[in-house]
Amino acid sequence: MSHEPFDTLAAAWAVGALDGEERAVFERHLADGCDVCEAELRSSAEALAAAARSVPPMIPPSQVKEALLRRITATGSARRETLPPRRLVWAVGSLVAVLAGAGFTATFVATRYEARLGQVAREAAALRASVQRDEAALREQIAVYQGAVDLLRDPATQIVLLRGLGPSPRANGRVIWHPVAGGHLFVANLPAPPPGKAYELWTIGDAAPQPAGVFQVDGSGRGTYRIGPVAGGQPVKVFAVTLEPEGGVPAPTGPMVMASVK
Amino acid sequence: MATSGADLLRRIAAGDREAFAVFYDWYAPVVFPLILRIVRERADASDVLQELFWEAWQSAGRYDPARGSPEAWMVMRARSRAIDRVRSTRRRSSTFVAPLDDAAAAVPGSERARDAAELAEDRGMVRSALERLPGPQREVIELAYYAGLTQTEIAERLKQPLGTVKTRIRLGLERLREVVQASP
Ligand SMILES: [Zn+2]
Repeated sequence: MSHEPFDTLAAAWAVGALDGEERAVFERHLADGCDVCEAELRSSAEALAAAARSVPPMIPPSQVKEALLRRITATGSARRETLPPRRLVWAVGSLVAVLAGAGFTATFVATRYEARLGQVAREAAALRASVQRDEAALREQIAVYQGAVDLLRDPATQIVLLRGLGPSPRANGRVIWHPVAGGHLFVANLPAPPPGKAYELWTIGDAAPQPAGVFQVDGSGRGTYRIGPVAGGQPVKVFAVTLEPEGGVPAPTGPMVMASVK
Repeated sequence: MATSGADLLRRIAAGDREAFAVFYDWYAPVVFPLILRIVRERADASDVLQELFWEAWQSAGRYDPARGSPEAWMVMRARSRAIDRVRSTRRRSSTFVAPLDDAAAAVPGSERARDAAELAEDRGMVRSALERLPGPQREVIELAYYAGLTQTEIAERLKQPLGTVKTRIRLGLERLREVVQASP
């Protein structure tokens, strides 16, 4: 198939380097419709996005967000009145899988997910119903230790280390995790939670943190918990523990006390 | 059941401010380092970031999930707005050449780049995806993507034939795709 020179032109276009006559030629080719080039550009854009994510995240100055929210509040209602109703058809189906960035160190995990954990709490209303159903299902599976040995025999089982953060630097733990069967959490040196509080475990994949159960620790700071499989078999990239009301919450609200080490 | 960036954009298109706040918290920490790398000045980067998300608020309805992830959508716009900012700054001040010089200083083989990479590894930090490309490929992609040079300008700057530059860009992008796909 003689699609060349467009493969080479598409690469230069993807990084913004195409110029002159070649740029005009390529853009005409694109305008005529070419599935090969479109797929190529899409794939390059995803790779460049993954490259951007492989750099440690940085929290921008808080004034930026404040200014944006003020701007939106000032103009948002006017905007909705003047625009005609949107009649957009949204593609059904899976998103292009968000690629995992190069592994973060625990510090980066903490920086990145602490921000997310705090913010995601505000989505609680939308998520609450479905999360509570999940939580009920997870609670049924409380059979700590049972099956742990079987899991360890399975080559797909991983052992993930957890490290204490912020309020509990000495805490440590591990999760014996099987991508299909779920797993077990074991923690040590975690201080007993204040009255009315408990620790809540979260699994974090490509989207919002999912509650994975509430657990307590004994007088010596040890605790165990059976973790159910993640709904839909979504891959888990990070395990995290936060301090929450003892009944558990559908989205994290309290401080993160432990997170998995990459 | 998990909320995705595409869900958030759909809610933003319907005027949902809460969804916008969450969307900002998810994506601003990813695009901010990219913008800062291109424009260099934190104040400029903050301006570009604000305009980028303002534009996202206004044009969320045009996002089409079939064409790519929300992250790719935002990263592509972030890069392009940041390059626009550098170009307009450079037009206003003919002596403003820092981004190019810094970009050159950051290419592999230079002392600063090597120091930074070693420092990163000493700290146990993971090398970024671009840092894992062979030097010549990384160099052309960085000059194009971060410094906004065209392939002709890159060829002049590196004193290499245009064909060599084109090949390196293509191979570099292919390698980048492998690198990010191989990451866990
Ligand atoms: Zn084509």
